[in-house]
Amino acid sequence: MDSVDRRDFLLGLGAGGLVLAAGPAAAQATPAQGGTFSIGLQDSLDTLDPTFSIQFAERRILHLVYNTLVSIGTDFSVKPELAASWEIENDGLRYVFHLQDGVSFHDGTPFDAEAVKFNIEHRLDESVGSPQRSRLDPVIDSVEVIDPLTVAINLKTAYPGLLGDFADRAGFMISPAAVAKFGEDFGSNPVGTGAFTLTEWVRGTSVTLDRNPDYWEDGAPYLDRIVFQTIPNTIIGLQRLRVGELDYVDNLSPDDLRQIEGNDEIKTEAFPVGLWYSLQWQVDKAPFDDLKLRQAVAHALDRDRINQIMMNGQANVANSPTPPGLWWSTDAPYPYPYDPEKARALLAEAGLEGGALTLTTPSTPIYRRLNQLVAEQLGEVGLSVTLEPVESSQWYSRVVSKAVNFTPMSWSQRADPDGLFYILFSSKGHANTTGYNNPEVDALLDEARNLLSPEERKPLYTEAAELIVHDLPYVPLFFSASFAAMSQAVDGVILTPDSIPRFRYVSKSA
Amino acid sequence: MTAVTLRRITGLTLIAFVALAGIFAPWLSAFDPNASGYDILYPASAEHPFGTDDLGRDVFTRVLYGARISLVIGPAAALIVALIGIPIGLVAGYAHGRADQMIVQVIDLFIAIPAFVLALIVMAMIGASLPNLVFVLGLVMWPEMARLVRGQVKSVRERLYIEAADAIGCSRTRILARHIWPNIMHTIAAQLAITVSTAIFTAASLGFLGLGLPPPAADWGGMVQSGFDYLSLNPWLSIAPGCAVAMTVMGFYLLGRTID
Repeated sequence: MDSVDRRDFLLGLGAGGLVLAAGPAAAQATPAQGGTFSIGLQDSLDTLDPTFSIQFAERRILHLVYNTLVSIGTDFSVKPELAASWEIENDGLRYVFHLQDGVSFHDGTPFDAEAVKFNIEHRLDESVGSPQRSRLDPVIDSVEVIDPLTVAINLKTAYPGLLGDFADRAGFMISPAAVAKFGEDFGSNPVGTGAFTLTEWVRGTSVTLDRNPDYWEDGAPYLDRIVFQTIPNTIIGLQRLRVGELDYVDNLSPDDLRQIEGNDEIKTEAFPVGLWYSLQWQVDKAPFDDLKLRQAVAHALDRDRINQIMMNGQANVANSPTPPGLWWSTDAPYPYPYDPEKARALLAEAGLEGGALTLTTPSTPIYRRLNQLVAEQLGEVGLSVTLEPVESSQWYSRVVSKAVNFTPMSWSQRADPDGLFYILFSSKGHANTTGYNNPEVDALLDEARNLLSPEERKPLYTEAAELIVHDLPYVPLFFSASFAAMSQAVDGVILTPDSIPRFRYVSKSA
Repeated sequence: MTAVTLRRITGLTLIAFVALAGIFAPWLSAFDPNASGYDILYPASAEHPFGTDDLGRDVFTRVLYGARISLVIGPAAALIVALIGIPIGLVAGYAHGRADQMIVQVIDLFIAIPAFVLALIVMAMIGASLPNLVFVLGLVMWPEMARLVRGQVKSVRERLYIEAADAIGCSRTRILARHIWPNIMHTIAAQLAITVSTAIFTAASLGFLGLGLPPPAADWGGMVQSGFDYLSLNPWLSIAPGCAVAMTVMGFYLLGRTID
């Protein structure tokens, strides 16, 4: 869907409630019933309690066990889920949600307005300690139960990112009765309203989910069982896919795809938007506090060559944090095209010719590959780069604690521009690990998050993006080309631009 | 030809083969081992005998240059082992009583910790670089050498002619240098060759676990590991450096087995 449709949709949303047709289930002919769907899972899981979830891989399981209040489509548009419709009132300060009738949790307790109130207040409760609190607390003032199927949320300030948050971790509705029953162990005994229930979780090995026979959406789910099996890497995943031990593997690069070329039993599909790959550093610390050095590095990088070598040319070179095709995308030219001469000149101006840098290298193959190319290209303008290996599991926490000054990074897209811009580039952002602090950018982002219409917000994000790209807290590299491979028998996997595949409507023919 | 001669010839041939490959790498290959290219993960061909890796580098060239790294690491680590292990072993073996016991306890302490685990921990702590790697290998391997030297000295010093030398008033240094050392030299030389082989193998294992030399170094162990992701596109990525490690380790091991 192009950006104009998207904008119209949001405008309509601002004007009043909207009900969309049911999910993809309605669009399919008659999906096959039954069967077990096996998924290769590469990352680790800590908890299945959405209140505390921070691992990326957990989200694909959370979408099966729970429903979110609203959901996002493959074009990042907001769609109904547990909320059948909603109105935004009072200049964006009050959201009234009308809930689906007849939905109950796996433990038989009803899903109603009281449950929504509990869920939001649970996350806001300081004694619970949810990581989502810092995001929700500054905006949510109170939650009001109007009747059993109507709930209103009053905001302290207009906040257009709210629906995006309710389509993500903050929107997964957990059973209040089960939280009371299991307490701390809720993360291993998840109870939601979702299409599947947790049957067995062997930590580090597999997660088995079984069909919820009382699921509220018509027809779904079609499968009897979904099993997530831990795989150490994609090659093992692809081997197991080939012999039929797995039905689905993702996070595949164009090179991985070459390994299953010509196999008639396997089909592949591309994720609509890849991860944003970049280099980051600490702009308030030597040596990267010198803008000339940052600009020299940016000019020294041949991003087309990186794309060609790592992504077979199938990625999009990134000129800002936002990929093309979203309503806040811009086509502003990149101010630092590949120009080794200019890079050398900038280094000379900064008195840093022949400087030495250390680039942290997590053990993930894609970063190891990227870093060798970066070191090679910086070497050509006279910067000697040492790659310092770091175990992947320790890497991000070292970035957060600022023990790492120069590192590659990747981020998935969020449904609202506030999602990434605020956390990464605002001086108050909780994921701002670069020390970036530009009062002009802060003011633009604060202003933009309090406006409702995309038309008003877009110029602010465009201006902020230009400042950010100029200041280079991150060097944008590319939006990766990422693929999923699955058995031909599988139907109904939905690849969303947030890089989290949705398996709820999957069916498998015998 | 005796079995020992056969071993010696095989061992020396393997070592010579690897050494020549490393020395003449720039003449044997036209490629730069660390320069990326656009031919990603090509299978073996006339141009690229072992194909190319995930950055378009020629695997054959990288295996050749990897010989240089291994042939520096192995002997350098053995040198450190010799410098620490031999003097300590000599002192412990020749000294009586307390001094000997103390040294033996230190040696036992080190031997009690699995060498590879110790190497892993220290490497993770001090970070990967060529000097650090050589230092760590020396650190975990000297006790074996010290124990061997001590045992050898002890067995020789009980002999009658040593007692006689002592009786006619030879100094300790003279006895060690003139009467003991020539008798244990061959065993030590053999042990050194085996130390080189163990050092190369341990370095490759550390590289395989991501604790060897940082990329882009053509480190055989690291090459075996990074090739795993693309085995079905180009199996030589892992097989070629793996065979190179096996050949080199085998060469030094066979040489070591011929001297005692």
